[in-house]
Amino acid sequence: MRPTDKPKTEIPAALRSQDSAFLEKNTRRRKQLSRWFYVVCIMVALISVAILALLIASIVYQGQSRLSTDLLTRSHSELYIERSGMLPSILGSLAVCMVCAAAALPLGIGTAVFLEEFQPTSRFLRWWHGFIQINISNLAGVPSIVYGLLGLTVFVYMFNVFGKITVNEYSGWELMGATNSYQVLTLDPKIAVKIPTDSADVQRIRMTGPGYVLGPNNEWMQIEIWDPKSGDPRPRDPSKRRRTVKLGQAGSLQTEKAWYYFRLPFDKSFLAAGLTLALVILPIIIIASQEALRAVSPSLREASLGLGATRWQTVKNICLPAAIPGIMTGAILAMGRAIGEAAPILVVLGSLVAKSTGPKHLMDNAVTMPVLIYEWAGRPEPEFQELAAAAIIVLLVILLAFNSIAIYLRHRVQSDSNV
Amino acid sequence: MSLPKALQRRAMRSTDIGVLIEKAVVISLAVAGAISIMITIGILYMLISQSYGFFSNEHVTLKGFFTDSKWTPLQASSLEKTQFGIMPLLSGTLRVTVIAMLVSLPLGLVTAIYLSEFASHRVRSWLKPTLEIIAGIPTVVLGYFAILLISPGLQFLSDGFATFNAASAGIAVGILCLPMVCSLSEDAMRAVPRSLREGAYGLGCTPFETSIKVVVPAALSGIISAFLLAFSRAVGETMVVALAAGTAPTLSANPADQAQTMTGFIVEMIKSENEYGTPRYFSLYGVAVTLFVITFVMTLIGQLIRRRFKESYQ
Repeated sequence: MRPTDKPKTEIPAALRSQDSAFLEKNTRRRKQLSRWFYVVCIMVALISVAILALLIASIVYQGQSRLSTDLLTRSHSELYIERSGMLPSILGSLAVCMVCAAAALPLGIGTAVFLEEFQPTSRFLRWWHGFIQINISNLAGVPSIVYGLLGLTVFVYMFNVFGKITVNEYSGWELMGATNSYQVLTLDPKIAVKIPTDSADVQRIRMTGPGYVLGPNNEWMQIEIWDPKSGDPRPRDPSKRRRTVKLGQAGSLQTEKAWYYFRLPFDKSFLAAGLTLALVILPIIIIASQEALRAVSPSLREASLGLGATRWQTVKNICLPAAIPGIMTGAILAMGRAIGEAAPILVVLGSLVAKSTGPKHLMDNAVTMPVLIYEWAGRPEPEFQELAAAAIIVLLVILLAFNSIAIYLRHRVQSDSNV
Repeated sequence: MSLPKALQRRAMRSTDIGVLIEKAVVISLAVAGAISIMITIGILYMLISQSYGFFSNEHVTLKGFFTDSKWTPLQASSLEKTQFGIMPLLSGTLRVTVIAMLVSLPLGLVTAIYLSEFASHRVRSWLKPTLEIIAGIPTVVLGYFAILLISPGLQFLSDGFATFNAASAGIAVGILCLPMVCSLSEDAMRAVPRSLREGAYGLGCTPFETSIKVVVPAALSGIISAFLLAFSRAVGETMVVALAAGTAPTLSANPADQAQTMTGFIVEMIKSENEYGTPRYFSLYGVAVTLFVITFVMTLIGQLIRRRFKESYQ
C-alpha cells in the first residue's frame, strides 16, 4: 500500500481489530487445528483395527498349540487335560441353535409381517401396533441374562407348578418316550435282564419267582430262579446261567429315554436353552425382517393389490419372496449372535461341562461352545487356558463362515437391485 | 354361457373362503405379535413374583437392601449372618460401566465423525466391516481377551492392579460397546441435512469446525441416545465381567480392585450349590430386578430421544 493512498477518514473500530495479519494468523491456526483433528480421527479409527488385530493375534498365538484333531473329536476331561476336546459342545451348540431357529424364525418373521404389511385400520389396531413396536425396541435392550432368568423360571422350573425340582430326584410329568424297567443281574455277572414296568414309584424290587423278561438283545425270554438255600447246585452251563436269576436278587429302576422323550417341566435341557435363546434373538429378527420388508418397493405391492390380490396373497406371493434375502441376512446374523451367546445358556443349563456326547434326547442336558470356553478360561491350569483359546478359534471360524454367508447374500441382493 | 377357456381351467374359489383365510392369517400374525408382549409380561411377572419371595423373607428388608454396605449371600455361613445390601454390586457395576464408557464414548464418537464426515468410500468399505466384526465377537471371547492380555498389561503398567480387576473388565466392555456407539452416532450424523454442512462451509468454517460446531450439535439427540443405549448394554453385560472382574463384592471406587457386578453375581449364584427356592438363591432375583429397572429406564429414554430426533429432520 502506497502512502499516498492512505484514506482520509479513519478505519471503523470494528474493522481495525481484524487486520489482515491477525486474520491470516487466525486462519492458519484454524486450518492447522482442522488438519490435526483429521490426523486424530485417522489414528482413532485405526485403534479399532489395531484392537481387532491384537485380539486375533493373541488368541491364535495362545491357542495354536492345541489346534489338533483331539480338540474336534474328544470331550472335556479332567484327567487327561492335554487331550480334552470340544466335540460335545459343538453338537450341543448345533442342537440348541436348531431349536432356537425353529422357534424364533417363524415368530419373528410373522410379527414383522404383521407390523409392516397389515397396516392398522381401526383405532384399537393402531394402538396395538404402536404398543408392539415400542415393546420390541425395549425387549432388544433387555440384558440377555434377564432372558436367561426368564428361561430358568419358565422353561426349566415352570414356576414349580409341576412339582418342585431338587438336586438328585425330580418330579414332574413324564409325557412320552420313557420306558421304565428293573435291571436284574443273572448268574452270569456280565448279563443283565430287564423287567418292564409301567409305574416308576418303586425304586427297587427283589426277584421272587420265574417269569418273562427282556433279554440283552431286547428279546422276550423266560428266566428261571435258582434258590441257593434249596441245596440245588449252582448251574454250570453258561447258556443256562444266562437264563437263571438268584432268588431275592435286587433289581434297580432304570429309565430309558427315546429321542422324543418329553416331560414337563423341561428341566435343564437343551430344549429349554434353545427356547431361551429364541427369546434373546427374537427382537433382532423382528427388527431385521421389518427393515427388509420396508425395502420392498411399494409399487410391487400396489400392483398386486390392484390386480385384485388380497393382502395376504400380496404378502405371500410378492413381499416375502422379494424380502427373503434381506430376512435371511438378518436371521443369519441373529443366529451368529445366538451361537456366541453364553450368559442365558449358562443360567439355564448351569456350568456343567463334563459331558461326553451331544444331547441324546429332547430333554437331555447339553454343553455349548461359549459355556465351555467360559469354563476353560476360568480354570487356573495353563492347559485349559490354551484349550480355551483353541476353542475360541474354532468358534470364531464358525462365526466367520456364518457371517460370510450373510455378506454374500447381502451382496447378491445389492447387485440384484442394481439391475 | 360357458366361461372363456383360460378361466375354465382355474378352480374359482368362493370369495368367502378367501375372506376367511385372510382373517385367520391376520389373527395368527397378531398372535405372533402378541407373543412379544407376552415375553415382556413374563419378564415382569417373573421378576416381581420371585423377588417378592426374596423381599418377603424375614432376613431381608427393603431399607437394608439399599443401604447395607455388604453383600454376602455367597460368602456367609448361615442365612442369619447373610447381609443383603446391593451397594457393593452397584458400585462394581458402576465402576466397570464408567470405565467402559470412558473407552467407548470418545473412540466411538471420533470414529463416527471420521466415518460420516471425512472417510473416503474406500476407507469406509473396510472400516465398517472391521467394526461389524468387532460387534459380532462373542462376549465370552472379549472376557478371555481381558484376562489374557488387558489385565497383565495393566499389571505391567502399574503394580496396584489385582489379577481380576474392574479396569480390565471395563476396557473389554468398552471395546464391546465401541461399534454400537459408533454406528448409532454415525447414523445420527448422516441424518443431518447436507444443507447445514454446506452452509457452514460457505461461511468459511474448516472441516473441524463444521463437524464439531454444526454436525455434532445437530445430531446431539441421536448421539445421546447412542450413549444411553451403550450404557444400558454395558450395565447388562455378563460374560466379560464374570471372567475378568473378579468375584468379591467390594464397595469402593478403586478400578484396580476386584469388582463383582450385578450380572457377575447372578452367574456366581447360578454356579453355586444353592438350591432353587431358598432365600439366598432368590436374592439373585432381587439383583435382577435392580438390573432390569436400570437398563429398562436407560433404553426407554434412549428410544424416546431417538424417536424425537428422527421426526425432526423428516
